[in-house]
Amino acid sequence: MAYAAGVDVGSTQTKAAIVDEAGRIVARSLTDTGANVVQAAENAFAMALDDGKLREEEVEYVIGTGYGRYRVTFGNDQVTEISCHARGAVHLFPKTQTVVDMGGQDTKAIRVAPTGEVLDFCMNDKCAAGTGRFLGAAAAALGIPLDELGPRALASTRPVKISTTCTVFAESEVLSWLGKGKKIEDILWGVHVSIALRSAGLMQRVGIDDEVTFTGGVSRNPAVVEALEQRIQKKLNVSEECHYLGAVGAALFALDHILASRAGHPVEGVK
Amino acid sequence: MDTSTSIVGRGNRDGARLFREWFDGLKQAAEREERAAYVFVMGSLNEILKSFDIPVTFPEITSLQLAVRREAHEYLQVAEDQGYSPDICGYVKADVAVQLMNGEHPMGRIPKPSMAVYTNACNTYVKWAEIWERMYGIPIFTLDVPGHRQLGIHTRPGDEQFESDRRYVETQIRELIPLCEKVTGRAFDIDRLRETMAHANTMSRSWARILELNASHPSVFNALTDGTIYLGVANALRGTEAGARYFQDLVEEMELKVASGIGTLTEEKHRLAFVGVPCYPIFRRFNEMFAEWGGTFVLSTYLWFASGGSNRGYEYDLVDPIRSLSEGLLLGVRDAMDSMFDQTTMIEESLDGFGIDGVVYHPIKSCRTVSTGLADSRRALLQERDVATLFIESDMMDRRVVSEAQLKNRIDAFFEGLVSRKRHVVAGGR
Amino acid sequence: MKTSTPLLGPWQDQPLEEVLGLCRDTIEEADFSAVDRWRATGGKVAGHFQVYFPCEVAHAAGMLPVKVRGAPVEPTAAESRFGSYLCSIIKTSLQLALEGKLQLDAFFSHPICDAARNLAAIWGRNFDYPAQIVYLPQNANSAGSATYLAHEYRRVARLLGEISGIEVTDERLRDSIRLYNRSRELVRELYEIKRETPWKVSAEDGYALVAVGGLIPVEEHIQLLEAVLPALRARDANPEDRVRVVFEGAFCEQPPLDLIRLVGRSCYIVDDDFLIGLRWMTEDVPVQGSPFDALAESYLERSSYSPVQHDNRKPKEKMLLDRVHRARADAVVLTAAKMCEPGLEEQVAYVKALDHERIRYFLSEFEENASSFGALELQVETFVESLLFT
Repeated sequence: MAYAAGVDVGSTQTKAAIVDEAGRIVARSLTDTGANVVQAAENAFAMALDDGKLREEEVEYVIGTGYGRYRVTFGNDQVTEISCHARGAVHLFPKTQTVVDMGGQDTKAIRVAPTGEVLDFCMNDKCAAGTGRFLGAAAAALGIPLDELGPRALASTRPVKISTTCTVFAESEVLSWLGKGKKIEDILWGVHVSIALRSAGLMQRVGIDDEVTFTGGVSRNPAVVEALEQRIQKKLNVSEECHYLGAVGAALFALDHILASRAGHPVEGVK
Repeated sequence: MDTSTSIVGRGNRDGARLFREWFDGLKQAAEREERAAYVFVMGSLNEILKSFDIPVTFPEITSLQLAVRREAHEYLQVAEDQGYSPDICGYVKADVAVQLMNGEHPMGRIPKPSMAVYTNACNTYVKWAEIWERMYGIPIFTLDVPGHRQLGIHTRPGDEQFESDRRYVETQIRELIPLCEKVTGRAFDIDRLRETMAHANTMSRSWARILELNASHPSVFNALTDGTIYLGVANALRGTEAGARYFQDLVEEMELKVASGIGTLTEEKHRLAFVGVPCYPIFRRFNEMFAEWGGTFVLSTYLWFASGGSNRGYEYDLVDPIRSLSEGLLLGVRDAMDSMFDQTTMIEESLDGFGIDGVVYHPIKSCRTVSTGLADSRRALLQERDVATLFIESDMMDRRVVSEAQLKNRIDAFFEGLVSRKRHVVAGGR
Repeated sequence: MKTSTPLLGPWQDQPLEEVLGLCRDTIEEADFSAVDRWRATGGKVAGHFQVYFPCEVAHAAGMLPVKVRGAPVEPTAAESRFGSYLCSIIKTSLQLALEGKLQLDAFFSHPICDAARNLAAIWGRNFDYPAQIVYLPQNANSAGSATYLAHEYRRVARLLGEISGIEVTDERLRDSIRLYNRSRELVRELYEIKRETPWKVSAEDGYALVAVGGLIPVEEHIQLLEAVLPALRARDANPEDRVRVVFEGAFCEQPPLDLIRLVGRSCYIVDDDFLIGLRWMTEDVPVQGSPFDALAESYLERSSYSPVQHDNRKPKEKMLLDRVHRARADAVVLTAAKMCEPGLEEQVAYVKALDHERIRYFLSEFEENASSFGALELQVETFVESLLFT
């Protein structure tokens, strides 16, 4: 049995996933990226091997993805996280037509074919509004741990409207609402709605189809899920594995390579 | 083959030389404290100005040269220190800085303006000229060229609506002439005008031919990189004999390349159309990110609008030069505006003829004229045609909003999709 | 008037405060219920983007001209039609139409700025009714400008006549001009109240009374102002110790009403360029001769100024200084909409001129979408304090 791996080096966290020949996810891992990107990639891979009780030699092909994909020094190839999230999303939810991937520093909307190929995509530009970083700024301003943000926002009863879309100014706007005596929960829900608006706008650019899959680290935040669903009036595909789908997609591309080489048709398309 | 080795590549060599010589001429004028007419690429009125032997400066070109030479940021900063917003056109700000620095420019000193002549093809031209009006107290002349009123509804010479617009343009040209006489102290000579217009005719005819020849496989020039060299000459030397000859030579070169199957430097795997203004702060690298995947630009809307619409090859009737100039200016500038606001149909019509695999939209922060509608235009194209597209934003001047890593990520993803799309087509899928 | 019931709702028998409240609510609501009431009677609507549009022509064709000036809404659907570096009004205007809140039979934009010119093409790709550019002359100083513009107005008149089925004859157009002359005269009176007795009308009410004119028939606007202006004059109010300011920079995108209110709390806004397109003509348009020619000439010869019209005779900084002196203002609130190329460029020249004349000013950028003004309030109050205590 051969295995294929994907390592997704994101701006905040690095994820790794290993699939078997049938494309089943057999192992995965998660670690903070930190300052040493090369080390983070190595750690994530080693942790995934541990998780699957596999030896390095058993993994035939590794593909790096994410903003640090060229720093996966032990990898055999690189593919962008846009292609990987699309592939991973279709693998997990085969009817997926639109993928929204929300990470630490950017958000991507991707339209995919049933084969998992990217038909169209767009990303937020310079500005970090509508990304995980925006949540981070609000969390910092309110002194709340990141993973408590969503649940507390869902307890809101009288939401406030956050008008800034700037991550830097979000902090001062949050503080000014606090100063006006607004409840933390209500401010937080406003922050989540603001993110949902921005990402829904991105999704409109590629077209929002019936089946939408939400991937990336922010997909773990239930308030973003709720706000986004309210905004686009659709249920989102989301699962605990969605955080890892970039790495899973990369592993699947690696598997393509193994299978194609075996059949004597090396894959062209990853350089 | 001796002739072919001397001809292939001549356009780029001669283009660079002519551009340099033109700039040197301006530098010498500046050193003699002579002044130049400041004009713009969309409707430069070079035909009139050259008939008065007025040296012309294109501030858009001097500004973009700062970006290509990676010196733009220092100039932008000078203007921003004067209160100009980070959110306005980078060309304007770089020029403001050049003016404040007494014409200082890495290519040599820029002469001060004696007058400014501009169309409304870009509204920022008007705001820009107002800055010189305030700085130098010079006359500024808006030559208003009305564009199409509604998407898809086009008027033609002879139509009542067209003729009303044309008469308005002609009246203004007739008002520009005495202004040139006043500024230069020279009398207008209609036969000189016929000469400059004849040179412009040769250039327009050749330009249309060159663009058309790039439909061949492999393409004979890169519309993004080589095309920009040709554009420099098309603007700076419009209405001159040297400019006309250069373009005739260029036709010869391109026809030879087509006949001999000589392509560009890139191994052509994907034929692309470019929509927008180039990313000058990382000009070479930007193209490389496509070339690495075997992507080459066979067509660019920039070559349409930044040549003032001369891509259509309109030729003046020299019997009635002023009337014909007004007609040509109206048609050309209007066409340039269409290729910025309404290029969907133009692109769609070129997809098959040019064998285009993908369309790259590149809106920029600096230029709302070109960028405002591109997302919608792309949406409209995708409704009509199943073609790969890439939408990337950066700037033509301001490297603060040009992130090479972000661009590369998107470009790579675009090609990954393009490659897999082609693979499925080959496999009979989709 | 087409309808017997006013589009604003039943305001005629209401006390002044109620009427003013109704005007404020009407311009703030993004549902355009006044326009819906017009449509409900079968009336046709011509939407016109900022800055200037010859409303008389639409009126003469029996249509309701509606000023399209954005709104404080989230442009979620419109965002997908635009790039990133754009002013808000362009996006929210399209948003109102995409959401179906603003239903039109024709839309007009103008060649005033690079974004607005693109808007006509974008609108045209998204809607089936005519979306056009009224090509106002960008050269105000040519001997051919007025003739050209009159021809352009005739073209617009033909189009609108086809839509409404009512031909725009010279006589009909003259009648419309008479009505608009009267409404503009009343608006000038309102500005006189703002200038001479600013304590009698709050900044936001003064704004709302003009803005509402962009949403209702001119006949109703005339009735409204004829009822409200005497009531304002009769108000028993006393002057307060506030700074007299000119508010400049709102020729296109409009500041949110809350922002105007905020400035009005500590300043008297004695003149401004709010919705300047609705007040573009500074004198009556002649009703003799060809009405098309009269409208065209008035646009060029008897008109206000803005950063999006170049006229060799109207250097903008001189025009601003004239406005400041005429209004006997102590200071200027000098704003520009975020991402507005012409507005931001003009600011530089205005600052220089005001510095030169030693006129104090408060410099700021705004966005129609803003809902929190904490930082701005702090700055405005500090500015006013510095003026009052120095």
